[in-house]
Amino acid sequence: MAEYGSFEYESYQDLETIQKFLESLTQGFAKEQIFLSSGDDTIELQPKNLLKFSVSAKKKEDKTKLSIKISWKEGKIKAAKQPLEIGP
Amino acid sequence: MITFESLEENLKFLVLEVENQLTLTFRLLNDADPDLLEKVSAKDDYVDNLKAIIENECFSRLHGDAGKGSDDIRTIRASHAIAVNLERIADYCVNIARQTEYLIDFNHLHQSNFQEMFTLIQSSIEQVLPALKKQNLPQALRICRSEQQLDKLYKENFDWIMARLRTGHFVEDLITTLFIFRYLERIGDSLLNIGEALIFAATGERIKIEQFDALKEVLASPGLEETLTGAEFKSIWGSRSGCRIGRVDMAEGAPAAAQGLYKEGVRAKIRKEKENIELWEKIMPGLAPRILAYRENTDKATLLVEFFEGRTLDSIILGNDDRTLQAAMAALEKTLGEVWQRTRREQATPTDYMGQLKARLGTVRRVHPGFMRSWKAIDQLEIRSSEDLIDRCAAIEQAHPAPFGIQIHGDFNANNVIFNPDSGRINYIDFHRSRQADYIQDVSVFLVSNFRMPVFEPSLRQRLNDVIKRFFAFSADFARNHGDADFELRMALALARSFYTSTRFELNQDFARDMFTRAHYLMEKVLTHSEAASAFRLERQVLYY
Repeated sequence: MAEYGSFEYESYQDLETIQKFLESLTQGFAKEQIFLSSGDDTIELQPKNLLKFSVSAKKKEDKTKLSIKISWKEGKIKAAKQPLEIGP
Repeated sequence: MITFESLEENLKFLVLEVENQLTLTFRLLNDADPDLLEKVSAKDDYVDNLKAIIENECFSRLHGDAGKGSDDIRTIRASHAIAVNLERIADYCVNIARQTEYLIDFNHLHQSNFQEMFTLIQSSIEQVLPALKKQNLPQALRICRSEQQLDKLYKENFDWIMARLRTGHFVEDLITTLFIFRYLERIGDSLLNIGEALIFAATGERIKIEQFDALKEVLASPGLEETLTGAEFKSIWGSRSGCRIGRVDMAEGAPAAAQGLYKEGVRAKIRKEKENIELWEKIMPGLAPRILAYRENTDKATLLVEFFEGRTLDSIILGNDDRTLQAAMAALEKTLGEVWQRTRREQATPTDYMGQLKARLGTVRRVHPGFMRSWKAIDQLEIRSSEDLIDRCAAIEQAHPAPFGIQIHGDFNANNVIFNPDSGRINYIDFHRSRQADYIQDVSVFLVSNFRMPVFEPSLRQRLNDVIKRFFAFSADFARNHGDADFELRMALALARSFYTSTRFELNQDFARDMFTRAHYLMEKVLTHSEAASAFRLERQVLYY
């Protein structure tokens, strides 16, 4: 399993299936672990502590869009860089 | 309107220079005068420059001027091709001239027959400008044919040189002489290119001389005693299927068939088309075009059929005349209703939508490398790969054949249907895929051929959606009236196939991806449907963009 990576999925669905996707994600949040796979690549998300959550919607004449965005910091502190030294 | 004065002038200069190079080269070979070699070489840069000027002029005209007619563009394109090939001929003159440096003595050359080749080349070059100016087809054809004559002369001289080489003497001079003839033969190839450019200027058809000969043979069929020079050749459309299609207008006094559609292509395909036209003539006289002439040789065939007056349905749909559109749709539905009724055979007819989709996946992926979904999972929820979906749907398809078969058109795109607003008649064209099959194949292809038109202007999109809605309702009615209970399930599979495979014609990524995504949605819906096939409901929204 790759430590870093990305996952993308786009589809048409009916309401019933949308709910199944949301449920699957909800369960992932409950266990603080969400696996996302595509072919042989899987990334593991571990949502915890402080999560940033935003909901936005746009309703137009012929199209409506609802966006849900959840993000969080991984909490890993990068090692400080060694100061540059110039040798003799 | 743009003027071609300076383009014409510069082409004239170029022709004059090339004629001069030919004369100088000829004299060099004839008189063995080394001063002439220098003269020929010295002109090379000037000829190059002239070609560059003409090229610049052609491109800036194509780019710059507004309101160019198709005739103008044709002339520009032809002028460009002519200039490039004239310059090449001048280059060959320099090549020939330089070969003379290697000749120990001119004797062998003088015993050969290079004079005749020069005479032929020069008389062809003389015809270039008049042929372009008057769009003179016979003259263009004469220039094309000079290549064959030059080839023949080359062969004669080649054989003569070979015979001498076998004696083992004067090898160097004979080889040099052979090189000179080789360049003269190459000049013939450039002349052929020029001739073909002139045909294009005169007709708008990019046609090869062999194709022209095939057409001529077809036109010379009994009852169609028409010579090529009297026929005006017009281009209608290019064909994606690899056949060449053109329209032939006969000259005055021609037989009743005043116009014909000419098709040339692989023999099996054209022959199939002919056989299918004959079959359709029995099914519904007048729906298919009459065959005016047919010829075939070992690998190619040529077909000349009646040309229908009228407009293709796609152009009517994208036009702005609502009354014509409604009349066309009504006529189409009436025609289809009759055809389906007449050809319906009450027997289970297997379909192969998934097989057809699989066969085209390679082409889809060449255009859109990413259009093959791998298996995915969003935590516990699995998403099937494209391949898995297709295979599983194929199994479902096998279990649900169509309850009856009809004679389908086989490539029922909106642009293969012609409507004549004056007579109210519908005609079909392009029959090589016609066969007994599920009527849903034609319906789904027609629906998606409308959907996939890359037109996004709301009022035009609305027209497309209206046509789709009306046609879907028409075919659903037919299904209901004929007890086709699984209509919507088979329709979903057929639409999935058409959406997926249509992406190979669409380079707009967003639009193509949308069709790709719709195809997957449809296959997923079919797979997750757990009740009887007859209970499957197609979400109508999937038909509209």
